[in-house]
Order: sequence, then structure tokens, then C-alpha cells
Amino acid sequence: MVSTILRQTFLQQSRSPSIRQISYSCRRLNGALKSGPSHNSVNPDEIAHFSKLSSEWWDEQGEFSFLHKMNPVRMQFIRDRIFEVAQEENPGLSSKPHQALQGLDILDVGCGGGLLSESLARMGANTLGIDASQSNIAIASSHASADPALKPASGRSNLRYRNAPAETLLLEPKRYDVVCSMEVLEHVENPADFLSTCAELLKPGGHLFLSTIARTPTAYFLTILVAEDILGKVSKGTHTYAKYIKPSELLDYFRDYHSPPNNQLKTSPPVSSRPWITSPSSTTYLNRSEADIRGLIYKPLAARWSLAPRDAWWALECNYMLWVRKPKEPYAAAR
Amino acid sequence: MPLSRTTTGRFANRIFRQSLTAQRYQSTGIPSSEVIDTDVVIVGGGPAGLALASTLGSSESIRNNLKVTLVDGGDLSKIKTWNAPPTSFSNRVVSLTNKSKAFLTDIGAWDHVDEARTNAVEHMQVWDGVSDARIEFDAQDLQLTRVNNGMATLTEILNLQRALLRHLDNLPNIQLLHRTKVTSITADSEDKGSWPLIHLDNNSTLRARLLVGADGFNSPVRTFAQIPSFGWGYNTQAIVATLVHPPRGAFEGPNTTAYQRFLPTGPIAFLPLSPTMSSLVWSTKPALAAALQAADPNVLAIMINAAFRLPHLSMKYLHQRILESHAAGISILPDTLRQELQFREQSHAVGPTSAYSSLQIIGGQQGIPPADSEMVPPLVTQIQAGTVASFPLKYNHAETYLGEGVGARTVLVGDAAHTIHPLAGQGLNLGLGDVESLANCITATIATGGDIGSYTSLLRYSQSRYLANHTVMSAVDKLHKLYSTDSDAIVWARSVGVEVLNELDSVKAAMMMSAGADFGNVAPPSWSASGWNIAASGVEILAKATKTAEAVGNTLTSTIGANLSTFIRSTRP
Ligand SMILES: Cc1cc2nc3c(=O)[nH]c(=O)nc-3n(C[C@H](O)[C@H](O)[C@H](O)COP(=O)(O)OP(=O)(O)OC[C@H]3O[C@@H](n4cnc5c(N)ncnc54)[C@H](O)[C@@H]3O)c2cc1C
Repeated sequence: MVSTILRQTFLQQSRSPSIRQISYSCRRLNGALKSGPSHNSVNPDEIAHFSKLSSEWWDEQGEFSFLHKMNPVRMQFIRDRIFEVAQEENPGLSSKPHQALQGLDILDVGCGGGLLSESLARMGANTLGIDASQSNIAIASSHASADPALKPASGRSNLRYRNAPAETLLLEPKRYDVVCSMEVLEHVENPADFLSTCAELLKPGGHLFLSTIARTPTAYFLTILVAEDILGKVSKGTHTYAKYIKPSELLDYFRDYHSPPNNQLKTSPPVSSRPWITSPSSTTYLNRSEADIRGLIYKPLAARWSLAPRDAWWALECNYMLWVRKPKEPYAAAR
Repeated sequence: MPLSRTTTGRFANRIFRQSLTAQRYQSTGIPSSEVIDTDVVIVGGGPAGLALASTLGSSESIRNNLKVTLVDGGDLSKIKTWNAPPTSFSNRVVSLTNKSKAFLTDIGAWDHVDEARTNAVEHMQVWDGVSDARIEFDAQDLQLTRVNNGMATLTEILNLQRALLRHLDNLPNIQLLHRTKVTSITADSEDKGSWPLIHLDNNSTLRARLLVGADGFNSPVRTFAQIPSFGWGYNTQAIVATLVHPPRGAFEGPNTTAYQRFLPTGPIAFLPLSPTMSSLVWSTKPALAAALQAADPNVLAIMINAAFRLPHLSMKYLHQRILESHAAGISILPDTLRQELQFREQSHAVGPTSAYSSLQIIGGQQGIPPADSEMVPPLVTQIQAGTVASFPLKYNHAETYLGEGVGARTVLVGDAAHTIHPLAGQGLNLGLGDVESLANCITATIATGGDIGSYTSLLRYSQSRYLANHTVMSAVDKLHKLYSTDSDAIVWARSVGVEVLNELDSVKAAMMMSAGADFGNVAPPSWSASGWNIAASGVEILAKATKTAEAVGNTLTSTIGANLSTFIRSTRP
């Protein structure tokens, strides 16, 4: 457990702007693991370094401009999936898409500077943004405090931040309607553990949203070669090709994934619960009430991201988003 | 120089970046007054600002999410209660395109316009004051989506502003602060993305998520945001006035034709408002404008009639007379001017019954209209008292519509962003296009939980407007330049150009746009901008043609003599 937390600590940090630290920290981390029990603190030098770069989170024309531009598209995907499900389950519902998130409990894992968290809160969700990097949380909190609609003191704020790795939340009883984790997966050392943590933080019937980069030549070309090396738009070392995850790998994970009993993390799931995705991997077909996967396409002329149409598999070459829903009844009736 | 100011501004931003720490509430220079958090602060209650407030107020999602305040230095209640008799019209009239009108209808504001005071333009007559080459437009030529809308709608700005204010009466969520001046604007921190503090002369301060400068040409908001703007004066003054004239005869049809003649001193336009009243926009040299404004209104009326009729050379002479007597401090008498005119018309063989005579009026006889009477506007008999005024004309385009650094969370709309020559009647139409686009941008941002003041969310607005506006602006500017000369070569090319290009041409495209033709479903949405592109390139072709004309003209001059080239010109209708 400690090691998982520790791993998460590191991994969440590593998606902060100073990702060029990855390989360096990796070595450090491995060393730390070998030398027995470790603590969850961060080196003060690193904090300072993170802090400097983290403040760039909200520089919309800086290194993170692409994240700012991607944010509306992500929100649109999240909003529409949740709205669609709500409509299906409750056809009489008169709400509009922009009300879809109102009152939901949403956890944003690896919230960074709070780009997504702020948007979720503005749309009425009770939002908790967590990040293992203390400086990211400081930046996110400070940014929100300038906004009268979000600042905690305003009383009407439904946005909170915590400096914590996702695993620690498993120890608490609270579960969420929605768990989001944007651009974290590709920086994570053990994606399987990370995914199961996110999955188990959900209430039955809850929604999991992930965004990440595919391990394809296109993605390599665009995110590492062009963005980092040629254009220098993203700090070098931000991305590690080997950590990119293909859409098919992610889908297969949820084809095999069964919620453990009582929402408690167990090593082997009971056979009786149904997997999150039931359509076989031999087809590209996904049951619309279970999962959806969409590519994000950048339109250079408009300098804008947009969501690729459903079934546009070619668009999954690079940045993509996955929505998958936790089965309502984790246990199928004993057969 | 605004340009140099920006350089320092940009530079300063870079310095601010260095000191990026969370010190948001170390507000620089906030007076001890109360600070009110507001989502949208619109500075300016002109037509653009009021239209924006109305649009935001009529969108449910915006109404439910945002607190909107409009600030204006003037007394808006005077505009709201403005009530003019049907026999008089305010001198500030604009031509609205069908697209603008449809937009105002969609937001529910057009319902409050007193439609009896508006007028649809069914035809346009545009001609070159030197060569007299002419283009005509007819509403029927255009594939209009709505019948009976004409090519464009003329309305007093006051009628529109009043409608918007009445509409806002039904939208209590929008707060109007009138008779309140913005005294200064500061940033609440040194961060990028700082929030603007708008200090008002009533001692309160608004802190805005999004600050909109709809504060006209001299935009204090633009200055605060350190947005440089680029432009020049045209050394031209536009005289406006409300004109009284007899109704058109039964054979002539209603007063629904707009006229514009391009004189080398600037275009003169006649915009029909009612059967017996029309609006004047006469762009001319500042000295002439001053002299005309100072003259007896009857003298001005005669000059207007002449300006639509008299051959260019004689018009030039009359201008000279007016200037001389003004300089000498003698006011020229209407009768003296009439005699002068009579002499001039005789020498041009313009008989007293000709449509081109400015003097037919003197007899006061309204019989069968002379041939070609629809080629020129009705004769002006009187100028509505107190309506003569003038405005300096300029071209000005802000370098960007989005502030950065100290100007973060700031956008410009309407004349604050761009000012153009009125010859194509586009100024406010561009402004309304801005308003529509900004409102769409805000709605889209809200729909995904974005921050409406953020640079990224506003980018959509500037992307959709900047180039579109620029295209129209440069086409209008080129038209102005092309027509404000009486150099033979250019006039020759111009007259050829106007005719040769008559069917498909650029000038026509530009003027149709100016007429506000609505191409409805027939054309893709980008058509209106591309129409102007055609216009701009057409004008360039024309400019190249002048080089050819110059060459041809030189040859003609040297071999046959100047008379022939004049003759070639005069044979063109
Ligand atoms: C002769 C002429 C003819 C024209 N014809 C046409 C036409 O046919 N068609 C067309 O579309 N356009 C036309 N235009 C252009 C059109 O009139 C303008 O584009 C339009 O009026 C601009 O509106 P606006 O709301 O952007 O700015 P403005 O009307 O200039 O409004 C600015 C407002 O900001 C307020 N303000 C400024 N500073 C402060 C401050 N510090 N504090 C508080 N309030 C402040 C002012 O009180 C004012 O109400 C013409 C213009 C001219 C001059």
C-alpha cells in the first residue's frame, strides 16, 4: 500500500510541468524503494522547481496553452456523456446539457493547476481536485481564490482542492459520481493500479473519464518529436513514448475489469461481477451505455481542438478520451 | 503614439511574468471604495454596447450564470423616453444590413423599434462624380431571403438605442449604470490573467471577470488595455442633416432609393427615410464642411441638390465660391447661389425641366417628372432645423481585440475596435457582428464551464471577427482612395472599371455588401466576407488598370491631344 501511495505521489508530481524531472526522479524513486520504507514528502528543491513551473499552468499563451484549448472539448465530452446517460435513464428529465453536472460529486485526479476542476465546479458539480504535488494544489487554490464564483470563502463555492494521492481517498468512505483523470495515465508507472484506484473511487453506476495519448507513430511524431523537439512548445522530457497507452489496451483493461466486492480493493475480483465493458475485443463496437472512446483532433487553422466523431478510429492515433461506466450492480445475480 | 506605448506595455508584461506569485489581492491603487464583483462589465451605451447587453440578457444560460453591468457616461433615460413627431427625424441614421436586422430580431430587440420610422432601401444608384459611370442595384436582383425587406433598412440610431433600452427594461438581470463615467481602470494584480478594476465617478469600483470596451472610437478601455490601434484620418468631415423634399411623383415610385455620388472631395449620400424626408451623409474636405455648415441652410440645400447633379467641374467652382465667401466672412446669399447655378446649368445645356437641374424647384411646379428623374434624388427644399452636424472621418483598427497582461480579460467591440469611412454604411453592422460573435463565444464558454474572461475562451471571438472586419475595412478604404481623386488616368480606369465590371465586379460586390444585401441560404455563411474579398481584389485590378490607363492616356495625349481623352471620357454615359 505504502509503495502504491508513494508511486502515485511521484507519478502525480511527474505530470506537473517539470516533467523533465521524470527520469531523474525515477532513479531516485527506485533507489528509495530499495532502501526500505519511505516517506511521502517531497524534496524542498523540487517544490521550488515545481512552483516556478506550476505558475505557468495559468499562462494561457505559454507551455500549457494546448491544455487550455483542449479543456472545452474535454468538458464537452464529459458533459454530453453524462447528459446522455441521464436522459436514457430518466427520459422525462427536462434538464439541458449544461445542467448535466449540477450537484454531482466529481473527483479530478491529478488536477494540476485546476483547469478541469474549475470548469467542473462552474458547471455546478461538487468538485474535489486532488494532486500529489503540493505546489500544484497551491497554484490551483490561489487561482480559484481570485475568482469570486470559486473562492472557498464565498460560501457558494463547490470547489475544493487537496494535496493527496488518489490511493489515500480509498481509505475514506466517500465515493464519487464521476472520476476524471486527464493526461495522467501516460505519466503513471503502473497504469493498472492507477486505473483500479480510479475505478473503485466511483459509486456504482458512476462515470470514469480518462484522457491520454496513444502509443502510435503519429503520437510520437506529434507529441514528442514536433511538440518537444522541433517546436519546443512543451518542455523536453514531458512525455515518454513507452508510457503511452493504446486505446485498445485501455479498452481491453476494462473488458477484463470486474469491480471488487464492497468497493474494496481486492487482488482478484469475484468472477460473478460483470466486466465494465462487455463487447468483445474482436469488434470495434462499444455499447453506448458502457463506454465511448474519442479522439481529439487539433485544427491548426482554427487553432482549436475538437472531438472526433464516434467510430473515427483514425482519430485515436494521438490524444484521446475514454468514458467508461461502472456497472450499477457490481454483482451479477449468482448464475 | 499608441504604438510606442504598446511596446512598453508588452515589455512590461514580460517583466510581470517574472514576479508571478500568488499576490492577487495586493491590488494596486484600489481606492478605499467598495469593490463589486461582476461577471461582465460593458463600458459604453452606444448601439453596440446596448446590443451586447440585450443579447446577453436574452440568453437564458447567460442570464442564469452571469452578472452583467453596463456603464455609460451619458443620460440613457433621455434616449429611452425620446419621442419625436413623425414629421421630424434625428440626423444620425444608419443603414442596417438584413443580417444585422435579423440578429436584432432574434434577440427580441427589433420588436421595440418604431418601424414606422424605419425605411427599407429597395434600389441603389451609385455613380462616379467625374465620369458619371453608374451602377444600379435593385432589391429584386438580390436573392433576398425575406421579401419586403429591401436591400437594407435605414433607421435613426436613437430609434435603435431606444428599442434596445426598452428591451433591456424586460431584462432586469442586466444592470444599467448611466450618467456614470469610468474614471480609470487598473489591474487587480500583476499576474497574467489579472482582473480589471473599473473605477467609476460615483466612487464605486467594479471588478470584472470580463471587461468589454464598447466605448466608441476614443475607447478609454482600449487605452487601459494597452491595445494599440492603427489608422489615419481621412482629412474628411461628414456632414449629416435631415432633408425635407416633396414626395416622389406617381410615376416615380416611393422614396426607397438610396443615392450616392462619388465626388473627388468625397461621396455624398442620400438615404430615404419617409416619402418626404431623407438623411444626408456628405463626406467632404474639412474647410468645405465648415463653410457649408456655417452657411444659410438654404445655401446648403442648394449645394446638396447641385452636388447630386452638377458636372464635376462646375461643382468644383461652386465649392470655391463657398470657400472664398466663408473665408472673407461674407455669407453667400441663396439667390446669389441660384444665379450662379443657373449660369452653370445653361453652360452645360441643362434645361430648367431636366432632372439634372437643381433649379426646377424654384418654380415649385410638380408636374410630370422629367426623364431620368429616378437617376437623382428628389430636390431638397428645406433642411430640418438643428440637424446639421459633422463628424471627422477616420480609419482605425485595433491591433487585437483581446487585451493581454494589464489588459487581460478585456475585449473590444464596435467602434472601439474599428472605425471606418461611412461610404459603405458598414460601421455599426460590423459592430453588431462583433456583438453577435462575442455573445456566441460567451454562451459556448458557459456551456463547457469555461472562464468567460480567459484568453483562450475569447480567442474564438477574435478569430471569428478580426479578419472578417479587416477585409471589409480595407475594401472600403480602397474604394475611398480610388474615388477621391480626379486624376484623369484613374477616372478613366474607374469609369471603364465600373462598367466593365458591372455584372460580376468588385465594386458591385462591395456596394451590394454596403447595401447590406443578404444572400440568405443561397450562399455559404462566409460569403459576406468573401464578397468583400472579391471587392478588394477587384479594386486592386482597377488600380492596375489605372497604370494601363495612364500609359494609354499618355499615348493619346501625345499623339492626338488631351481633347480626345476627355472626349473618350465624355462619351461614356
Ligand atoms: C456620418 C456617419 C454615418 C454612418 N453611417 C453608418 C451606416 O449607414 N451604417 C452603419 O452600420 N454604420 C454607420 N456609421 C457608423 C456608426 O454610426 C458607428 O459604427 C456606431 O454608431 C458605433 O457605435 P458604438 O456603440 O460602437 O460606439 P458609440 O456610438 O461611439 O458609443 C460609445 C459610447 O461609450 C460611452 N463612453 C465613452 N467613454 C466612456 C466613459 N469613459 N465612461 C462611460 N461611458 C463612456 C459614450 O457615452 C457612448 O455612449 C456611420 C458613422 C458616421 C460618422
